[in-house]
Formats: sequence, C-alpha cells, structure tokens
Amino acid sequence: MKYLRLIGLAIAFCLIFIPGSPFISQAYEDTQCFKCHTSAKKLIEITREIAKTRPAVKSSETEGEG
Amino acid sequence: MEPLAPHEKILVDSDIVDDENHGAIACHECHGGNPDDANWKTAHKGVVKDPTYPDATTACGDCHDEINENYQKSLHVSLRPYKLIIDERASSNTVIRNKLGCAMDTHCSGCHSSCGQCHISRPNSVEGGFLDGHLFQKKPPMQEVCTACHGSRIQKEYLGEHEGLLPSIHREKYMKCDKCHTGEEMHGNGKDYAHRYDVENGPKCVDCHKEIYKREAKNVITHRIHKDKASCHVCHSQPYNNCSACHVGKDKQGLAFFKTKSSWVDFKIGLNPLKSEKRPEKFVTLRHVPADKRTFDFYVKDALSNFDTLPTWKLATPHNIRLKTTQNASCNACHGNESLFLLEKDVEDNEKGANKNVLVPVNLIPKKQKWQPK
Repeated sequence: MKYLRLIGLAIAFCLIFIPGSPFISQAYEDTQCFKCHTSAKKLIEITREIAKTRPAVKSSETEGEG
Repeated sequence: MEPLAPHEKILVDSDIVDDENHGAIACHECHGGNPDDANWKTAHKGVVKDPTYPDATTACGDCHDEINENYQKSLHVSLRPYKLIIDERASSNTVIRNKLGCAMDTHCSGCHSSCGQCHISRPNSVEGGFLDGHLFQKKPPMQEVCTACHGSRIQKEYLGEHEGLLPSIHREKYMKCDKCHTGEEMHGNGKDYAHRYDVENGPKCVDCHKEIYKREAKNVITHRIHKDKASCHVCHSQPYNNCSACHVGKDKQGLAFFKTKSSWVDFKIGLNPLKSEKRPEKFVTLRHVPADKRTFDFYVKDALSNFDTLPTWKLATPHNIRLKTTQNASCNACHGNESLFLLEKDVEDNEKGANKNVLVPVNLIPKKQKWQPK
C-alpha cells in the first residue's frame, strides 16, 4: 500500500511539474496574456483604441537611404 | 519594408504551447506584467517589450548560456565599430563630445539587434512585429530580419534589385545569409572587435572555393597571379550602391529623422585601407559611405573635427558576386582601365584629405597587357 502511494505521488509530480505536461499547458492557456494575444479580434479593438491616443512615432522628414 | 498592422505585430500563434523548448514558459516570466488581470491597461504595467535587450541573461541565458556569455560583445548588440569610428572622427572637446553622445543616443543606438529581434520579431528599426506569431525561429528569415536592416546595400545587391544588374550567383543557388554568416559569427565569440572585418569567424570566399589555387583548377593562372594583389570582389562583384552626406536632426514634433543627399550605383577599385594578414590585397572594392563632416550639425557644429582621419570610401564586400563580370571579361577590361579605379578626380574636394590613403595614383593602375592567357 505504501509503495502504491509513493508511485501515485511520483506520477502526480511528473504530470504537474515536467515541461510539456498537459497540466502546465492548461495553466498557460488560462492566462489573460494568452487569451488576449491569441485573439485577433481583441487585439484589433485594443490597437485601434491605442492608435487614437498615441502620437506618431516616426518623422515624415526622413529622406533617402539609410 | 512594409510594416505589419499594429495587431499583427503582437498576435501570438496558439501553437506556441506545443513548442517543446519554449512552450512551457509563461508570457509573464519573460515579459513581466500581471497575467491574471483582465484589464489590458493595468495588466501591462511593468511589461518589457523585448526582454532580451540590453541584457538577455534572464530571458535566454538560463538555457542558452554559451551564446548569452558572448551576447554583449556581438557587434549586432554592441555597435562598437560605429562608436569607435565616430569617436575617432570626433573633436576632443568635452562639451562637443557630450552633445555628440546625445545625438548618437537618439540616432545611432536604436539600430541594434537582440536575441528577440532576430529569432522572434522583426528588428525595431523596421517597427518590429512577430515573425510568426511569437514562434521561435531557429534561423531568422532573410528578408524579414537580415535585409530588413541591411536593405539599401546588401538586399539590393544580393537580390539584383538595381536596374540592369543581376542578383548574386549565390542567390541564384538559393543560398540565404546564414549559409555564409553562421550563427557563431552573429552571436560573437567573446572578443570585442573594433571592426566587422576583424571578426575571426566571418566568412571568406575560400572557405567554400578551396580549389581555386590548385593546379588542376579552372583559371588557376589568373587566380594565382592576382592572389594578394586584388580581393575576390575586384574581379567578381558588379557595381554596387554608394551613399553620401547623411544628416540627422529632429523635426518640429521632436521626432528624430535622417536625410541622405544622394545614392548612386558605381564600382571603384582603391587601395586597401585595412591591409592585414587576413586581408593582404593591395586593391579592393571601395564603397562611399554616408559619413559627412556635418552629419551632426543639428546638435553641435564641428563635432567631427577629425573627420579626415578615416576615409569616406571604405573597404566593401559587395554582395552581388558573379563568375563573369564586365571587368574580368579580359585582362584589359581592367588593366589600364582608369574608370574602374578611384582616382583623385573622383573624390570631392572636401573629402580628398580623408581619402588620401585609398586613392589610386595613376602610375599604380596595372598596365595594359600585350599578352593574354587563353
């Protein structure tokens, strides 16, 4: 019985902590960063909102080859 | 290069979770921010756009420790040659130097690369944006990364974009930049090089063309006769791009800009300004660079008071190589052909001093040959 518990614990540890485990991916995909940055629709809305307030970042006076 | 739409720049491909090496690293582990905050404005507080610049230790160094060790000395990151060259031309006056430093911070320092700006996104200098949804690219794509920065010279030459000129033969063989310029060269080897031509593991033509001096090789006589006298490019490159008079400043909105006076396609052979054991040739191809005595006038006058210490016609390795070129069609296509050589009359009066060591005196132009090998 004791051995069975140990084996069970070892399997649970591997599933949770080893990279590539489905548990890790699940947690990763649940973050707000991932949800938003994988949605083109959300990003279009947000970048349009930003563009309204953000001034130009490049000068139109640049001329010639750099 | 056409920039990506704002949302395209930051759209992550969900396939990244399947990346066995990077897929398990959560976004905030490299970029910071709050992964649990649904409000994008507050969630992005403290976010670092490129966690690999200026120091890649935290983001990449744990796994790629050997590459990261040399990162700061990679010329793509350090830009050391730029700084050294401007320093050499600059006035020794401390006040002027400080103002020049400010100008360089505004206009020159942004033109660097980083791990992220080659392997994940386009470089900042072309407005960034993911190469492929933040999927890590082991080999950076040539036209979105390499020629995004090295565009006006290398791209046009290599792809044959100059009217009437052909692409490099290497391009026609489907070779991309990394075929010659290896990852080891790009990442640096820990040495603080003063010039890109000093880089020890930089490419040499003979790395691949090993046989050219062997008795049984085609054109062996021609190659042996010209060995150490003329660089490979003197015979095998086509005309290439030259630029002049770059000036930098800020517009009415305070945005930085640059202006170059002109660019033109030309081919000039001159005396080798970087003669060394590695580059012993007497004659090399020279390219006019956009350096100008008054480049930084917007910030401070006479900043480059030692301008003449370095030439404005610099050693060049044009990327438009062909087996047969106009100048190697016969011996006398080059020998005695003054128009191919950089003569005093080709240089503007205010640059004669700077170029005195690379100009070819008429008596050094190889004489016309009476006998020509078959």
